[in-house]
Amino acid sequence: MKRRGVLQSLIAAATLLAAGALPYGVSLLLAPGRAAAKRNHLRPPGALKDDAAFIAACIGCGLCGEVCPPRCIRFHARDGGVMVNTPYVDPEKKGCILCGKCMQVCPTEAISVIPQNEINMGIAEIDQTACYPWVDRGVCGACVSVCPLGEKAIGFKMWNQYRPIIKQGCVGCGLCVEVCPHPSLPIWVVERSQQTAPLSNV
Amino acid sequence: MRSDQPFFLWRHLNKLRWVSLSVVFAMLVLLPYLHVYQTYVAAHAYDLLAPSERQVYGVMETLTQPFVGDPAEDLDAIKGNTWSGTFWGLKLSDPLAAFGQMAAGLTIYWPFWLTALIPIALTVVFGRFFCGWICPATFIYELNSNFASWLRWAGIKIGNRHFDKRIKYGVLALGLILSAATGSVLIAAIYPPAIIGREIYYAIAIGGFGAGMMFFIGTLLFDLLVARRGFCRYLCPGGALYSLLGRYRLLRIRRIVETCNDCAKCNAVCEFDLDPLRDGFGQECNNCTACIAICPTNALTFAIRPTDYPAQGPGHLGRRYRSEHAAGDESAAEHREAA
Repeated sequence: MKRRGVLQSLIAAATLLAAGALPYGVSLLLAPGRAAAKRNHLRPPGALKDDAAFIAACIGCGLCGEVCPPRCIRFHARDGGVMVNTPYVDPEKKGCILCGKCMQVCPTEAISVIPQNEINMGIAEIDQTACYPWVDRGVCGACVSVCPLGEKAIGFKMWNQYRPIIKQGCVGCGLCVEVCPHPSLPIWVVERSQQTAPLSNV
Repeated sequence: MRSDQPFFLWRHLNKLRWVSLSVVFAMLVLLPYLHVYQTYVAAHAYDLLAPSERQVYGVMETLTQPFVGDPAEDLDAIKGNTWSGTFWGLKLSDPLAAFGQMAAGLTIYWPFWLTALIPIALTVVFGRFFCGWICPATFIYELNSNFASWLRWAGIKIGNRHFDKRIKYGVLALGLILSAATGSVLIAAIYPPAIIGREIYYAIAIGGFGAGMMFFIGTLLFDLLVARRGFCRYLCPGGALYSLLGRYRLLRIRRIVETCNDCAKCNAVCEFDLDPLRDGFGQECNNCTACIAICPTNALTFAIRPTDYPAQGPGHLGRRYRSEHAAGDESAAEHREAA
């Protein structure tokens, strides 16, 4: 008799748990998720470098977006999956100005306050077979003039004054991507580990 | 006859509660517009704005001019939503966010827990007050309940099913387990106040709702068609957490049995399907004071004690008590004479 009671209460508890799965199932259906783009998908400055840790730490409150002066921080919506409501910066739409307000406002450890030269959102790459000055289609230099870090992040190749080259100091804010006038955007930002184009230390 | 009257203002707390809910909701709509205005100011962009954007600029400038010198910086004083926000440097977070984040990362990050400390302390004293007094979803859910009663009045059948209230504890437990398993704060995706806060922000400042709005509309339909206040009663993980935290809350509502007449209006008005008529408030009462406001004989008041009063039996002005105590009982005789 007693064993039967225990069994019944166990079954009841299991049923309650199963019923509790319903809202999670619905929310996962509503945000099925998609693999994030390899390029031009930046986390805000100061974000945890390990993306899994970042997703675990972020509570999706949206505060970083709500203080961002250029409104460059966007949030994963239906494309999110497990990273739904986490912030990202798409430099093709808007680049980060490295003001650091999101670092200060984040309540969790997802985005922490770090000095500007330690920010690592990624690193820019230039397609030298498309960029206007590199293929001798005129002069430009928009990316070089907009860079908030100047000399240490981006510069011109010597002897060819308008051919831009990326340097080690680049933190990947993406302003150069935002400003690039070329329709196919031959400049983009990738993770440092995925960087393929050679860097110049000139 | 021992019958204490409740303090007369407590009947009006329900109105104050609606003011509080409206203010919170209005702030959630206002803050994204303020942020958009701030970005215009920071970019010195007035001359470049479209006419509709200039309208936003103008309205927000008029609203904030008396209070701020430099909008781009000073308006940062109040930011965020009920899930997490900052008020003049004081960061406050929802306790559920702290629990969910702890489960997702399997770590405890103390600076974040500190931001949840004040809400936790308030919940321990006042119980599930967040649900009744602050939650922006409650604002919409209660309007939805009113809409349902209009429909019922118009003769349209509205679902009024009852489920097991313990399901929400399952939702909470499962949410923590799933958060730990997937490494993402899943609870944030199904918790209506968090959804409301950020979806309003997305819609106004970013342009377009995110993934949560469909979920929220789903919960509204569930409330309307299946069970009154169904999500809050049976599914909300936040409600479950606050119920647990507020189990031994100090501030409770209690029935004054001497002046109760068993009319059961309190049970009918209770959004959370509790049983004030039989002293059954329990851990899920959110001190919303709707029952105090509706009681025709002023038989409900506040009490400061960590547990509910044990069942006090039928109300002394009720028919049942009077027939049972018809002979001999002074107070019943008194009331018979009065009546």
